[in-house]
Amino acid sequence: MLELIGLSRRFGHVVALDDVSFEVAPGQIVGFVGPNGAGKTTAMRIVLGVLTPDAGRVRWRGRSVDAAARRRFGYLPEERGLYPKMRVMDQLVYFGRLHGLEPGEARRQADRTAQLLGVADRGRDRAEALSLGNQQRVQLAAALVHRPELLVLDEPFSGLDPVGVDVLSSVLREQASEGVPVVFSSHQLELVERLCESVVLIHRGRVVAAGRIPDLRAADARRLVRVEVAGAPRAWWAELHGVRVAEPLPEGAILELVDRTSEEEVLDAARRAGEVRHFSVIQPSLTEIFRRAVGA
Amino acid sequence: MRGAWRIVARREFVERGRDRGFIISTAITLLVLVGVIVVSSILNRGTRYDLAVVGEPSASMGRDVATGARALGIQVELVHPPDEAAAERAVRDGDVDAALLDGARILVRSSPPDQLVAVIQVVALQERSRAALVRSGLSESEVAAALAQPPLPVRALEPLGPQQRENAAVAFVGVLALYGQLFAYGYWVAAGVAEEKASRVVEVLLATISPSQLLRGKILGIGLLGLAQLLLIGAVGLGAAQAVGALTFPSGAVGTIGIVLAWFVLGFFFYAGLFAVAGSIVTRQEDLQTTMTPLTIVIVASFFVGINAVRDPGSTLATVASLLPPSAPLVMPSRIVLGDAGAWSILASAALSVAATATLIPVATTIYSRAVLRSGRVRLRQVLRSERS
Repeated sequence: MLELIGLSRRFGHVVALDDVSFEVAPGQIVGFVGPNGAGKTTAMRIVLGVLTPDAGRVRWRGRSVDAAARRRFGYLPEERGLYPKMRVMDQLVYFGRLHGLEPGEARRQADRTAQLLGVADRGRDRAEALSLGNQQRVQLAAALVHRPELLVLDEPFSGLDPVGVDVLSSVLREQASEGVPVVFSSHQLELVERLCESVVLIHRGRVVAAGRIPDLRAADARRLVRVEVAGAPRAWWAELHGVRVAEPLPEGAILELVDRTSEEEVLDAARRAGEVRHFSVIQPSLTEIFRRAVGA
Repeated sequence: MRGAWRIVARREFVERGRDRGFIISTAITLLVLVGVIVVSSILNRGTRYDLAVVGEPSASMGRDVATGARALGIQVELVHPPDEAAAERAVRDGDVDAALLDGARILVRSSPPDQLVAVIQVVALQERSRAALVRSGLSESEVAAALAQPPLPVRALEPLGPQQRENAAVAFVGVLALYGQLFAYGYWVAAGVAEEKASRVVEVLLATISPSQLLRGKILGIGLLGLAQLLLIGAVGLGAAQAVGALTFPSGAVGTIGIVLAWFVLGFFFYAGLFAVAGSIVTRQEDLQTTMTPLTIVIVASFFVGINAVRDPGSTLATVASLLPPSAPLVMPSRIVLGDAGAWSILASAALSVAATATLIPVATTIYSRAVLRSGRVRLRQVLRSERS
């Protein structure tokens, strides 16, 4: 169990983190979500000891995190870093050694992770010779090479092609199934929804919502319908009372029903407006939940 | 983890050691070194003559000529053609430098080789004096006693032994090598730090090991490679010089190489922390030149003082500079090699270097750890004021 307890951090006059607390349980994949500059990276860097907090602490397995514990963490920093001129396999072995693996074991694990992420055939190439996507895979391999007890990944999916996204998703699921707590930050909320059971939503340095996604949804009592109508005038729903646009779509919108407006009334109005292509009662997406949480 | 610096040092040593640029430049250095030694030994060997001797009196005089010439550092090889005609042919063809005929005439092609002719003349003069004295009725032993006069004593006002001359040459090469080595390896520390910062790999590293371990490993790994390279160059140079017989005092050269190695270690560690700081405050490697400028100036100035010290090791400037840690590695070795530095000043200089390094490294490590995780060009003042990154 990883616990962040009351973390605060300022940079000059900028408050990057303000009393941030959350936890990641063994085997859990937690999505750490928030806009740019919300404090995700700062929080992760504090967990890894690259930054010190002004207040608060980080606990791992019930104890304050020390250097020995951190060495068993796996970390993917926001700004990727590999030695450009060093061979891929040598780097993986090197990182494995720094994480405390014996030389032989480091070599075996480097092979294993390179294979896991599909870069084994590039082992003898220098990092700079690889495409950005492949460098990203090597970077992930470097974070996994020592079989970490905890994974902290800052935007691990950015820069990956769809195949890479699938590979990484399955790697993270596999890690979690082995009991490793995984926390990763991302902008891609659909991805987070697909991969995570729990999320932590952070905005302007504060946690605005956290918990299991079903619970967050349940807590959101809004009634939402998704309607798409072909050949309808723009904003055909304006004639209805008690309807708000939650999110505009190319051929319609996600509408929130307030007061006593019923789903049938909306459907009737849609029929009158044109040819209904899609009509469904939906649960709020992570995007919706997030919008609401930050009051936007 | 204790000993993480060893893993870092090993990477620095191995990765840089197998860098193609490094291997090529080392190979070129070795080639140039061997080439210079071989060529200069060929040029220095110039004073060797072939002398044809014809007839018995010539043969015995020839032996005396060869003996006398050796004392002057000239080598004379005797050739024995069957008759005068053959000797003349040999002279004409340039196979021999001169021919001595019947112990009475010297034959040369055009311009006589002065040194050789002078030696022959002296030997001939002595020979004829001896014969004349014997003819005048003196006994052989009286003649021998009369002719065995000691040479005139020579008193040099500023004596310079051949060993000292050789030492000055070796000291000059030593200063040159130290200058190149301190610069190259100091730059590598700075460039290595800047590379890790610019590529952001430093964040991955510092999430695993402490900044002081990273810096220690980097400095030790690079320093060790510098030492190994110097050792290789010294060994190859010594071997080549020995092979062509260029060194009259090989033990002196071995001592000099030892002194150069010792002062490389002292100088490198003194400067390494400072180079690391220069590397940690830049964003891109291209900006290194700027932040390294103060160090560059000090090293170049020390180099010039060091070159001067080879000529005048006893000057006040050289004496003072050989004690100060920044300039000592480039000045003290020549003063030691030229026999101008006493044991105490050597010890004092080394102790000052060690003390200065011991003071500098923690300060440099602190600045380095604060600066290396900051993005953007970091101002030193800013880093010194802040408590943490």
